[in-house]
Amino acid sequence: MKKALFFILIIAGWEAVSRTGIWADYLFPSPFSVLATLFNGFKDGTFTIAIIASLKRIFKGYLLSLAVGVPMGLLIGRVKFFSETVGSLILGLQTLPSICWLPLSILWFGLNEKAIIFIVVIGAIFSISLSTEAGVRNISPLYLRAAQTMGARGWRIYLEVIIPGALPSIITGMKLAWSFAWRSLMAGELLSSGVGLGQVLMVGRDLADMKQVVAVMLIIAILGLTIDRLIFRLLEGQVQQKWGLARL
Amino acid sequence: MKLLVKDVIKSFATGDRVVDTLDNVNLKVEKGEFVTIVGPSGCGKSTLLSIIAGLEKPTDGKIYVDGREVAGPGPDRLVMFQESALFPWLNVLQNVEFGLKVSGVDKRSRREIARHYLKMVYLSRFESAYIHQLSGGMKQRVALARALALNPDILLMDEPFAALDSQTRSLLHAELETIWEETGKTIVFVTHNVEEAVTLADRVITFSARPGRIKKEFHIQLPRPRNIETPDLGRAINRVMEELKTEVEKVVKEELDSDWAVEESALLYSNNCRMGSGL
Ligand SMILES: Nc1ncnc2c1ncn2[C@@H]1O[C@H](COP(=O)(O)OP(=O)(O)OP(=O)(O)O)[C@@H](O)[C@H]1O
Ligand SMILES: [Mg+2]
Repeated sequence: MKKALFFILIIAGWEAVSRTGIWADYLFPSPFSVLATLFNGFKDGTFTIAIIASLKRIFKGYLLSLAVGVPMGLLIGRVKFFSETVGSLILGLQTLPSICWLPLSILWFGLNEKAIIFIVVIGAIFSISLSTEAGVRNISPLYLRAAQTMGARGWRIYLEVIIPGALPSIITGMKLAWSFAWRSLMAGELLSSGVGLGQVLMVGRDLADMKQVVAVMLIIAILGLTIDRLIFRLLEGQVQQKWGLARL
Repeated sequence: MKLLVKDVIKSFATGDRVVDTLDNVNLKVEKGEFVTIVGPSGCGKSTLLSIIAGLEKPTDGKIYVDGREVAGPGPDRLVMFQESALFPWLNVLQNVEFGLKVSGVDKRSRREIARHYLKMVYLSRFESAYIHQLSGGMKQRVALARALALNPDILLMDEPFAALDSQTRSLLHAELETIWEETGKTIVFVTHNVEEAVTLADRVITFSARPGRIKKEFHIQLPRPRNIETPDLGRAINRVMEELKTEVEKVVKEELDSDWAVEESALLYSNNCRMGSGL
């Protein structure tokens, strides 16, 4: 309720500022003109096509970084050799914003889909690896000993104890990685080409159509938030229910 | 003879120092016997259990079960730890099923076995609860069911009831005794609590302080079930306590400053009180 009121106030303020005419309408569009742009964009399909293209990319990139990042984190967390080599490399690479890889990525993959997906993977993979590693390291040795005395060996220990034991930390990392991936995707789409939300936003800029720019910004924010709520809140909720952890 | 601990020596290298933890421990346990081990803190009781379990290798010496040398951990010798070590990502029933699952028992039969043992510890109603929803005593009951479900010959228990209040502990003593009598398991039970050791044991073994070695054995031949009213129980407790006292003193002297002697009598007195508090 408080939230709804707050957002109504913001929209009212936005409308009020646009009415004062400090900025021309094409520089500071009113909420209603943005709404109209949104409506038209969905009606003629430009937004829908762009959303689908962007989501496809991010899912490909995100799933790839999960598929590589989790095993990598397990190795770093369990094998000393990997933690001393790959582990320290990742810590270094993690500080580099993933968009810095764009020039190389375009050289390697060409100005296409793959180059952007690569940026998304780079953006997400390190936080997945690092949180998996942290989760693995923090598993109580007691759990491993208990599993061993009950006859668990080798891969079964990984499957039945180490991965489920590290899961709360992995999910935290996945959530963080999602927001990194989303940002990387937008940066990549803005700076390169191909259908997508970033591209629609750039077209808006080129046409000096701020209604379109703001409309796409809204879509990006709402989409990112929705997926965060739908998927990650659900996963976190399940873990909390089992482990009895306090809500973060 | 079920279990033989032969000439076991264990030392840990920590940095540049070598800590001698177990010094030539020899122990024979008969099939179906209930043996408890008491000793001052840090004398290597947990280490000995880990070695028997196969979780840790002795520096020297060997462990034999039924005449065969122990090479690693195995479900014929299950350990029950002080903290329950139950898995928080599984519910109660799944925890009890765990060992059966990794040894390849099919879903229907392992479910049946797990339910049987949960019933034995009176927790059938909680089979779908998660671990954080259980009290300390319930957790240890689940841990016991989880250990029993694999039908081990030997149960190794490392202060399993130390964190419980004395009423819950007495209740669990009685239940453990009943289960032991019904199943005929061989039990090696480590504890700080002399009264607990004497109440449960066929034989109490006292350990000396660092490096740990077996100091004395007490055969307890009082009728079961034992409780505060059992004649001579108090006397048996006192005999073991008397034996331990000198060892506890030795540890304290080693760890505390030299002016400790002034408080000695007071400390021993409170120590006695704590050890008898479960009665
Ligand atoms: N992994 C290890 N590395 C180095 N030292 C160890 C290790 N495990 C045990 N020790 C040492 O061995 C000694 C015995 O430890 P242990 O846990 O077996 O004692 P305990 O008799 O079980 O004590 P408590 O009654 O407090 O549980 C201690 O002094 C401890 O410092
Ligand atoms: Mg111990």
